Amino acid sequence: MLSLQPAGLVSRTMAFLLDLLIRLGIDLGLLMLLSSLGGLGNGLILLGMFCVEWLYPIVFELSRWGATPGKRSLGLRVVMDTGLPVTPAASFTRNMLRVADFLPLAYAFGIVAMLLNRECKRLGDLAAGTLVVHADPVVLHDALPPGAPLAPARPLDSREQAAILSWAGRAKRLTPARFEELAQLAAPVLPPASPDEPSRDAAPRLLGVAQWLMGRRA
Amino acid sequence: MTPMRFEAEYGPLWDDFAEQLSLANQGKPVDAALLAARYRRVCENLALAQSRAYPIHLVARLEGLAQNAHQLIYRRQDYGLRTLGRLLRQDLPRAVRAEGRCVLLALVLFALPLALAFVLALRGPDFALHLLNAAQLRDYEAMYADGKQSVGRLREAATDWQMFGFYVFNNIGIGFRCFGAGILAGVGSAFVLVYNGLLIGAVGGHLTRAGLGHNFWPFVATHSAFELTGIVLSGAAGLRMGLGWLAPGRMTRLEALRQAALAAVPLVYTAFSLLLVAAVFEAFWSSAAWIAPAVKYTVAGLCWTLVLAWLLGAGRTHAR
Repeated sequence: MLSLQPAGLVSRTMAFLLDLLIRLGIDLGLLMLLSSLGGLGNGLILLGMFCVEWLYPIVFELSRWGATPGKRSLGLRVVMDTGLPVTPAASFTRNMLRVADFLPLAYAFGIVAMLLNRECKRLGDLAAGTLVVHADPVVLHDALPPGAPLAPARPLDSREQAAILSWAGRAKRLTPARFEELAQLAAPVLPPASPDEPSRDAAPRLLGVAQWLMGRRA
Repeated sequence: MTPMRFEAEYGPLWDDFAEQLSLANQGKPVDAALLAARYRRVCENLALAQSRAYPIHLVARLEGLAQNAHQLIYRRQDYGLRTLGRLLRQDLPRAVRAEGRCVLLALVLFALPLALAFVLALRGPDFALHLLNAAQLRDYEAMYADGKQSVGRLREAATDWQMFGFYVFNNIGIGFRCFGAGILAGVGSAFVLVYNGLLIGAVGGHLTRAGLGHNFWPFVATHSAFELTGIVLSGAAGLRMGLGWLAPGRMTRLEALRQAALAAVPLVYTAFSLLLVAAVFEAFWSSAAWIAPAVKYTVAGLCWTLVLAWLLGAGRTHAR
């Protein structure tokens, strides 16, 4: 099972604005390049503007990156609800429905829809069954800090093991005081401290238990 | 197996896999069979790590790998002329016929106002002025006036190419909006259908009454085969989506909306192709004043027959 992290309103708005800038840039470039060509040039400008307005998001979403340049620069990606890459029909649907999301003005329907559901979907995403997710999920857990292994006082079941390992993975992100406070909760599983031990704190010794759970033996 | 031994045993595999993935994501050729084999191993490792409650940084690393490979492996890549050909020969007409009731509803919503407006505009000058102001009507009269080189244009300077660009940008854009607005319970699509029906009918009736029918009818006869069907089909797609979630049957509304959108998309593809052909005809063929009306009517008859035959007949039998 894979976990997906839906992107919120702010990052999606930023991505949209970036894409808007890029699209305006392309339109301006077309205007400057082709407007001297007369009728043919004007025709090509309009064709180009059509492609930039309607096909730009679809082509990029179906590409290898699964995202428009704006989304890509913010680390976002469009996927199906199942986590599979977006299909042509879904990409087409979600981008055609921008029309409805835009109503009554400035993407009001889309924003309201995004705020009203847990997965932050606009109307187009609801109809197409797509999600905009963070391509690289944020992981708040690091590898365990080093320490001498210490056997627990009693056998631990899998939930207890998981809790101690998760606690140890947050060593870098918690303040020492809070880290110690959490370790105190697990004090009953620690073996009795030997009298020559310098520190009375639970945290270093629970880290030892975590190392023992990881498989390190003295 | 302890987490440490697990990581020591499979870590090299994960590193190799990550390297191969980043190469593949840059578009470089990789050994697909090896990638698939490693993907299966990594999925296996991920399942084990999750069920054994291994440390989160380990599970997250495997998850990231599996996720990236998932995107790479399952991305659809069978785009090509063969798929397009199959779509045009079978899939699109079949999809249109499968949604026959929505198409019929869209046709009624479009054709009834059109016929009504046409008759009313033909009978007197008042009706057209309800829909359009006098300046707009004068513009239409100028577009279809006698003695012009290209019919249907306001300015003679506009070339065929410029008009082609304009028709694509404007008409197909309207078709797409007509579909998109359908999610609002179909109201948006119904509005676009009725409004365009009224407008086209009123202009047609007004120009015929003004004695410009001999310029107007040969102009519209050919491309209308593609354009009017295109409008009706994009409206039908919007109605399908809007009515889909309004009357969800035994599904939840969200599920019904998803299904309806999926069923509607082929209709939009069809409308898109028809409107594209319409733009070509409207820009390069319909406007040519030097082609005799008789020729235009003949081609128009042919085009209408072709479009209807395509929509009603194509892909009915399984060609094996």
